[in-house]
Amino acid sequence: MIRVGIFGVAHIHADGYLANLKTIDGVEIVGASETEATLRTGWLDRHTEPVFATHEALIAAGVDAAIVCTTTNEHREVVEQLAAAGVDVLCEKPLATTVEDSQAIMNVCAASDVLLMTAFPMRFNPSIAAGRAWIDEDRIGEILAFAGTNQGRIPTHYAEWFADPIAAGGGAVMDHVVHLVDIMRWWMESEPVEVYALTNRILHPDVAVETGGMVTVGFDNGVFATIDCSWSRPDGYPTWGGLTIEAVGTDGVFTIDAFAERLDVWSYGDAMWTDWGSDANQAMIDHFIGAVKGEHPLEVTGADGLRATEVALAAYRSVTAGQPVDV
Amino acid sequence: MKLRIGIIGAGNMAAVHADGWEAAGDSAVAVLDADAQRAAELAATTGARVADDLDDLLRSVDAIDICTPTDTHLDYVVAGAASGVAVVCEKPLARTGEGARSAVAACREAGVPLLVGHVVRFFPEYVEAKARVVAGDIGDVAVVRLDRSTYLPAGASAWFKDPARSGGVVHDLMIHDVDYAAWVAGSVTRVYARLAGSIDGGDHVLATLKHEGGAISHIQASWAFPVGSFRTSIEIAGSEGLIMRHASDPFRSLVAVSPDVPDVPAPPTSGESPYASQIRHFSYVLRGKATSRIAPEDAAAAVDVCDAIATSIVSGRAIEIGEKL
Repeated sequence: MIRVGIFGVAHIHADGYLANLKTIDGVEIVGASETEATLRTGWLDRHTEPVFATHEALIAAGVDAAIVCTTTNEHREVVEQLAAAGVDVLCEKPLATTVEDSQAIMNVCAASDVLLMTAFPMRFNPSIAAGRAWIDEDRIGEILAFAGTNQGRIPTHYAEWFADPIAAGGGAVMDHVVHLVDIMRWWMESEPVEVYALTNRILHPDVAVETGGMVTVGFDNGVFATIDCSWSRPDGYPTWGGLTIEAVGTDGVFTIDAFAERLDVWSYGDAMWTDWGSDANQAMIDHFIGAVKGEHPLEVTGADGLRATEVALAAYRSVTAGQPVDV
Repeated sequence: MKLRIGIIGAGNMAAVHADGWEAAGDSAVAVLDADAQRAAELAATTGARVADDLDDLLRSVDAIDICTPTDTHLDYVVAGAASGVAVVCEKPLARTGEGARSAVAACREAGVPLLVGHVVRFFPEYVEAKARVVAGDIGDVAVVRLDRSTYLPAGASAWFKDPARSGGVVHDLMIHDVDYAAWVAGSVTRVYARLAGSIDGGDHVLATLKHEGGAISHIQASWAFPVGSFRTSIEIAGSEGLIMRHASDPFRSLVAVSPDVPDVPAPPTSGESPYASQIRHFSYVLRGKATSRIAPEDAAAAVDVCDAIATSIVSGRAIEIGEKL
C-alpha cells in the first residue's frame, strides 16, 4: 500500500488529484496539509479526508509519496522537508518562481534519492501523444515551426494568489508558458535557446501581473515556436480555456485542440463545455503512483520542470530588454 | 457619368478589378501591359482598348488602377499623380516603406486621391469584427491573433516568387493582416518575427507586434500549407470580451481535393466578392460620395511594418518602427 499526502491545497488541482488518487488500487490517502486556516475549512467542507495544519504533521503521519499543491513560491520549502523525510514528490507546475529554487528542488531530491516529477499532464493527453508520434514518424516532414496557445480565464476565479507576483512569481507567462514549452521539448528532444516576449495588462488591469502574453521561443534544432499564454478568455466563456498547437513541417501541417473531447451544453441560459474524453490528470497521477511503486521510471522529471520554468523567466527578461534573450 | 479607368497590368488581379469596375457602373477604357497579347485578352473581355503606352493611357482616363508587380507600383503612382489622375493601386503600395511614403507624398502634392487595395478591410467577417471593436463590445483591445495560411501557387509568376520584386510572403501575404491588426489595435510600434522556408519555397512566418496603447498581435502568414488549402482566422481579445472567427466555412466538403487548384487561392465568401465591394467603395470615393476606408498613410505604414518584419527575420532582433533599417 502506498501512503499518499497532498501538501498544500492552495492550488485548485488539489481537489482533482484527490479524486484521481481515489481511483487507484493500492493507494491509501493519508490526508492533506495546509497552513492557511480558511483553506483547511474549505477542504473539510468539500472532503472527508483529514487536513493537517502543518506539513510536518502530515509527514509525521507517515507518507510514501506527496503531491505538492502549495503556492508556487512555497514549493521549495515543502519539497526540502519531503526529501529529508525520504518522500517521493509530484510537484505542481511551475516548479518554482526562480531558477535558483527550481535547481534547489532538483538537487535536494537527487541528494535524498527521492523521485521528483513535475506536473505536466499534457504529456498524458492522447492528442499530444499523437503529435509526438507524428513527429517521430516524420509524418509532416521536417518540423519548421509551432504556433501554440494556452489561453484561459483569469485564474483568480479559483484563487487570488495566481495573480500575486510573489506567490505565483508572475501572471499569464508563469501560468501558461510551461505546458507548451514542455510539450515541444518532449516532441523534438530539443532545448529552448532564445526567447522573445511581449506582455501587457489590458485584460483585467486591476491585477498586479501581466494578463496578456505572446512568447516566441527558438530551439537548438532551429525550430521556432510562438506561445500565446494570455488570460484572454472572458468571464462567461464556456470553459476555463484551452490548449492548441499547430505544427508546420516541410511536408504538411497538423493541428491539435487538446480539449476537443467535449460537449457544447446550454444550461439555464449559460453555455458550457463539458469534457467526456480522456483524463490527462488521471493518467499523470497513475503514472506517478506507478513510478513510486517501482513499476516504471518517471517520464517527466524535475529537470523538465526546470527547463520550462527557465523559458518563462527568460520571457520576463526579454520584456525588460525589449529584445530576444538567451535562455 | 461613368468613370474612365485605365488598368495597368493585365494579370490575375487586373481581371478581378476590371469586373469590379464594371459592377460599380464604371468602365475600364484602356489597358496597358508589357505583354501585348495579355493586354489584348483583358481588353477584349472588358470592352477597353489596348493603350499604346503609359502617356496614351494617362491622357484618356479619370483614374488609373495599378495591378502590376509590386516593385513597379511606385513609378506608376508617381506618373499618375504627375498627370493629375486619381490613383488606385493594389497592395502593397510600394516595395519598400520609403517608396510607399514617397508615393503618398506625390499624390498629396498633386492633389489626387490615392486608394490602396487592402481588400481585407472589405471581407465581411473582418468588417464585422472591426465594427464590434469600434462599438465597444469587447472593451479595449488587448491580444489579437490573425492567420492567413495557404500554399505557394504552382503557376505563380516569376516576379511573385522573387522576394526582391514582391517582398515575399511578408509583403505579399502577411501585409493583409499587418494592416488589419493596425486597423483594430492601433499603430504598430515594434515587431519581432521568425521565418522558415519549406523545400518548395513556401515560406512560413510567425510575427508578434506591439501596438501603440499596449495591445499585442500574433500574425501567422504561410505559403507552406498543403496545396489546395486556404485558411484565415481572427481572434480579438479585449478587456470586456472576445471575438473569434475560426475557419468554419458554411460549406465544408469531405471529398478529395482536386489536383487542379487555383493559382490565386481565395477564401470563399457568400454574397458580393470583397474585391468588388472594395472597387465599389473606391468608385464612391472618386465620385465624392464617401471617404476612403483606407488612408494612404495606413497603406504606407503597412509597408513600413513589413520592412521591419523582414529586417527582424534577417537580424534576429526586435525592430522598433521608425528605426533606421
